[in-house]
Amino acid sequence: MLKRRRLIFSLLAIAPVIAIFGYVRIFPIGEILRLSLHKWDILSKNKPFIGLANFQELLGDRLFQEALLNTSIIAFGVLLITVPLAMILAALIFYRTRSRFAGFYETTIFIPHVVSLVPAAMAWKWIFDARLGPLNALLSVFGIEPQAWLFDPTLSLISVIILCSWQALGYAVLIYLVGFKNLSKSLYEAAKLDGASGFQSFWHLSIPLLKPITLYVGVATLVSAFNVYAQVYVLASDAQGAPGRQVRVIVLDMLENTFRNYRVGYAASEAVVLLVIVLILTFIQFSLLREKGARK
Amino acid sequence: MKRLIAGTAPFAFSVAGRAALLTSVIGAGLLAATAGANAQSIRVWSGYPELAPFYEHVAEGMKAEYPDIDVTVEAIALREHERRVALGITSGESAEVLELATSIAARYLENGLLATPPADVTAFVKDPANFGAYFVDAASYDGTVYGVPLFRGQSALYYNTEMLAAAGLDGPPTTMAEFDSYSDALTQRDGNGNPTVSGWSLRLSGGGAGITEKFWINMFQHGGEILVPAGEGKWKANLASDAGVAALAQYLGNLYTTKTVTVEMPADAEAFEREQTAMFIRESWVIGDIAAKAPGLSYATTTLPRGSIVNPVQLYVAGEGEQADAAWKFALATQKPENLLWLLDNVGWLPNRTGLDYSDILAKTPALEAFVSYPDSYEFFSTPAIGPIDEVMTRTASALEAAFANPDLAGDNDAIRSYLEGVDGEINSLLSREGLLGE
Repeated sequence: MLKRRRLIFSLLAIAPVIAIFGYVRIFPIGEILRLSLHKWDILSKNKPFIGLANFQELLGDRLFQEALLNTSIIAFGVLLITVPLAMILAALIFYRTRSRFAGFYETTIFIPHVVSLVPAAMAWKWIFDARLGPLNALLSVFGIEPQAWLFDPTLSLISVIILCSWQALGYAVLIYLVGFKNLSKSLYEAAKLDGASGFQSFWHLSIPLLKPITLYVGVATLVSAFNVYAQVYVLASDAQGAPGRQVRVIVLDMLENTFRNYRVGYAASEAVVLLVIVLILTFIQFSLLREKGARK
Repeated sequence: MKRLIAGTAPFAFSVAGRAALLTSVIGAGLLAATAGANAQSIRVWSGYPELAPFYEHVAEGMKAEYPDIDVTVEAIALREHERRVALGITSGESAEVLELATSIAARYLENGLLATPPADVTAFVKDPANFGAYFVDAASYDGTVYGVPLFRGQSALYYNTEMLAAAGLDGPPTTMAEFDSYSDALTQRDGNGNPTVSGWSLRLSGGGAGITEKFWINMFQHGGEILVPAGEGKWKANLASDAGVAALAQYLGNLYTTKTVTVEMPADAEAFEREQTAMFIRESWVIGDIAAKAPGLSYATTTLPRGSIVNPVQLYVAGEGEQADAAWKFALATQKPENLLWLLDNVGWLPNRTGLDYSDILAKTPALEAFVSYPDSYEFFSTPAIGPIDEVMTRTASALEAAFANPDLAGDNDAIRSYLEGVDGEINSLLSREGLLGE
């Protein structure tokens, strides 16, 4: 009886949270799935059902393909830079500077994550400026010709990857630091007794032991990078004065289809594709990094 | 204090006192309600931040006649404005007065989301003494007037007179061939031959419809348009025509053959004001911008070789009832000649109303001459007021941006034509999807 009462109490206690979560998270996803099968211009009351026509059109849409390719390059670029770099930086902070400066280093690396995105992107826009930017000035010291960072199709993508990685790094380092702090010291002491060097300990102990952290950081970074928009918008948008080459990404394409082309159903089908991609990638990452027997 | 000593509550009142208080509260409430019923607060949504002072000026001028109408002006960048209108109208939270170009308003009118004006506003708009037939059509849908014509975007060539003089050029270019030779002569270069000041600033990057609009203006000078009528209410793409090929060849020639401009160079009004370009094509608002940001700039304007784009903008009203009435009063107030002259004089956008005396303003600002006085043969065009026009413009912009980045196309007209045929195919399939493709 008591057990049942506890269960009812628990359910009642959690119900408001579940209700709010369902309303603000699950319901919109369901609505997006429904809209993706309809033709709707946001203004009309009519939303005719068109089946998979939106998805069929996506297959031949040059701009969507460009957006998908750009977004994928940015997402994997950010992942490839952020995860190893964050792990190395966290290791350096944890092992090399367990001194009074550790807090300073952590704060320095974490600051980009909490700085407001727009002013940060504006600062990077200046850094990448082809004529006046300090990046080209630095390159010229080494005899490298000035580069059109925000105009060249490849370099503009690299610029976005650098900006996104710079932003994502602080959070990833922080999570890795938590991971490092939870690793058992006895294992490292045993390794040291066996003659393992610092690098060997890092390679053979830290990396395998930090797999769950790497999984979390990888998934969070990838999902966040697939949703890239504001960075691209500020670095290269369609404002007057030609600030840069527009790097088309999926979220930008969705917004454009919704509010400029009035094609909400079509934009919803893009959102569904993005959702499926992120889910598949998350599943793959879980499969690759989950420890054997973790489900048991 | 006496009551406290007597043991009563500190703020207790007698029955009569409470009744008086209640009466006062109810009275104050009624007064507030009555005042609320009389006062109307309306919002004006504009997509041009530089127009905020104009609307505020109009609102200030209305105070004497309509002291109970409070006007709040919210002017933001055009793209964000278009997004908030889409969201605002569909959620019923939009401003009462909406400033919209004909092509953007078309979607809302198709869905009956904008109010029809009262008879006096319709009569005012339809009066030939106030507006030409073109502007009445632009403010109408299916023969019914929905908007009050306000201003138009119209282009002219801006050129730096000191730079032209330094290059030994007597006057502005008058043909598209001259645009090339002038551009070459006006370009300033560093020791390595790289341009430091562009001869002719072209819109080359940044994405968005602006690239297409600027290209369309240049293509028009070569004798063609991106979309051409193809039957009743139908259209088809025309980029791969001789005019389209000539226009793209000209862009690429300046980029890669004569190298008078680069994608990275500062462009547009900002570059012109900083003397980083010698010539560029833009609307009249730049005159006000120059006056504010670069008053010492030596420049002049002139008409384009063939004609100009005209993008009429109207004021529409969303909603109904007393607020809508107040909104229409505001829309009509903008049409007072003194307000429209203030608009031209202080902001630089061209009023659409006819019969205005610009002589004082032209004497003060000769640069406006190219926008209001033009040869009889001067032609005008507008982007078609069809639902998917923005999508056409954006997709074309993306294709043009890719072409501008491709040096292999420069000097190869066959390759240019072939490329533009591909773009035409994409535009036509879009028109076909919307049932707007003609033969």
